[in-house]
Amino acid sequence: MKTFSHLHEKLSNGEFAVTGECGPPRGANTGVVDKKIKLLRGFVDAVNVTDNQTAIVRMSSIAASAHLVRAELEPVMQMVVRDRNRIAIQSDIMGAYSLGIRNILCLSGDHQKFGSQPDAMNVFDIDSVNLIRTVRDMRDTGKDMSGYTLDVAPQMFIGAAANPFADPFEYRVIRLAKKIDAGADFIQTQCIYNITRFKEWIRQANNEGLTDKVYILGGVTPLRSAGMARYMNNKVAGMDIPEDVIKRMDGVDKKDQADEGIKICLETIEELKGLKGVHGVHIMAIEWEEVVATIVEQADLK
Amino acid sequence: MITASQKPINEIIKLIAPYKKVLILGCGTCVKTCFAGGEDEVAVLASALRLSFKKKAMTIEIEEQTVERQCENEFIQEASVKMARNDATLSLACGAGVQAMVKRFAKNIVLPGVNTTFIGIQESQGIFTEECSGCGNCELGIFGGVCPVTRCAKKLLNGPCGGSQKGICEINPDTDCAWHLIIERLTTLGQLDNLKTYIPPKNWDTSLSGGPRKLVREDHII
Amino acid sequence: MNIDKKPKLTLFHCLNSFKETSSMFDGCQAKTVKMACSSMTKDIHLLKAFEAGADAVLVLVCPEKGCRYSEGSMRAKKRVDYVKTILDDIGMDSRAIEYIQHDSQKTTGLIKDIIQNNDIRA
Ligand code: SF4
Repeated sequence: MKTFSHLHEKLSNGEFAVTGECGPPRGANTGVVDKKIKLLRGFVDAVNVTDNQTAIVRMSSIAASAHLVRAELEPVMQMVVRDRNRIAIQSDIMGAYSLGIRNILCLSGDHQKFGSQPDAMNVFDIDSVNLIRTVRDMRDTGKDMSGYTLDVAPQMFIGAAANPFADPFEYRVIRLAKKIDAGADFIQTQCIYNITRFKEWIRQANNEGLTDKVYILGGVTPLRSAGMARYMNNKVAGMDIPEDVIKRMDGVDKKDQADEGIKICLETIEELKGLKGVHGVHIMAIEWEEVVATIVEQADLK
Repeated sequence: MITASQKPINEIIKLIAPYKKVLILGCGTCVKTCFAGGEDEVAVLASALRLSFKKKAMTIEIEEQTVERQCENEFIQEASVKMARNDATLSLACGAGVQAMVKRFAKNIVLPGVNTTFIGIQESQGIFTEECSGCGNCELGIFGGVCPVTRCAKKLLNGPCGGSQKGICEINPDTDCAWHLIIERLTTLGQLDNLKTYIPPKNWDTSLSGGPRKLVREDHII
Repeated sequence: MNIDKKPKLTLFHCLNSFKETSSMFDGCQAKTVKMACSSMTKDIHLLKAFEAGADAVLVLVCPEKGCRYSEGSMRAKKRVDYVKTILDDIGMDSRAIEYIQHDSQKTTGLIKDIIQNNDIRA
């Protein structure tokens, strides 16, 4: 079987995969990217490079991904449909592939309302499901959206996001199926703190036979403090941090809260490892990349 | 209907300040219904402007008139007498009305007094909501009659984003998630299977993206 | 303000609930407008009162529960608030317009106080 990337290869061998995350800098400083590369290289199979996440203007995900390629750390280039129409999308996919980028994560993108440019015009020409389909069709038919045969068509391993914690819950699995139909090869989920709800979601996905068709990487983010937990729960769209998790963070001394957060994260990973239908873990240590090595080692993921 | 809201008075004052005689021209259709530019609003604005100019010891003559519809020639014509004797006309109609006036009165100054906002409805007394973007290619049938192109902040056609929580859109606690409404409605109608339908990329050529649009009815052209 | 010049006051009130007496307006030139319901005082009437030279405008509303047309006094209050925003926008003092809730015991006294204390002046 042809594999499109190292991440793909690892997953197709049935190994438990680990991906990390790297947010590009607010500026053109490659030093920031290099620093994150050093912290992550050797500990993860691939690294998501975010695309103007939370609609804050940053170095482009294509460029930052290219820096990762150069440093031999495999990127998962994130691409949102918020900022590009189908012309730019296709062109960027070709460009990214030409730079050696082999994984793509297709997203709708956070609305610009809460970003650094709330006065911007958004695009949303096609939605994330159609972005997935576009990359798939390029790869599998060699054609662009207009039906034109490309001389070299990008061959990418295609990812999509799923949020088991968003509403309406019953619809979440239908949406997953739609993304798989469109061509998603792997799924990275929203951060898991509500493991009960996650288990219910994965059970439904197993029942529908979806986990045989797609690799699922459960998302985790170590909490640094009780304050962060509360903030994320209230302010970040689609985030579900149950009361008992927040209480547990509150229950320990301020200076020990980060350790407690890592502990919770490790417990979640342990649960995920034992779940049928979960093929890996996606560690999003936002601006806390140095903790990834610890988590990977203590969770025995190396 | 088309909704609009009146511009801040100070912006209007700046717009009309260069002129000595100004006609405030209302429109008796959509903007009347949304309390932005009907007869009543014309009267209030005229009075406020008079008070304001008086306070600043400036003089201005203001005339008032409201026509049934500023977007139709037939009604616009009624304004011609007063327009002719004023230096400028401040139109409280939507952008279409203002431009209809401009087309009819090529030499007159016509200024906008309202900000035209959207195609919508009065959901309840005093609350107006946007419902349609005039995309030129209506697919309400498959979405249970709720338009995701207009009412989903991300124009998602294949289901809700990950930010939808408890029926509320991630961008604003006052905004319903369009997809929540679609799913609710399809549940009521027993058409939940529609959700599984794959919706291909939308053809935006029929929308404003395709350039300003024109509607031609051959059978009505003489 | 010129001491000799008595301030001009325009009072809008609902005829269902209030009887005027001339003495309550001592110290000012008062003009009263009786309405079938205070809700009938449209924003344009209030502005026109100022255009006609009023220094201050008062709207006497019935207690919300006591309004014969249930929502009348609520509407009147909202109109007064709206006109206040207009006055602010055009640089006039929004305190020049107020509503007072009618209370058969207190209203006369309230109006007198307002006039005497020069509380409201354009
Ligand atoms: S929350 Fe619902 S309406 Fe808002 S952007 Fe997401 S899918 Fe669209």
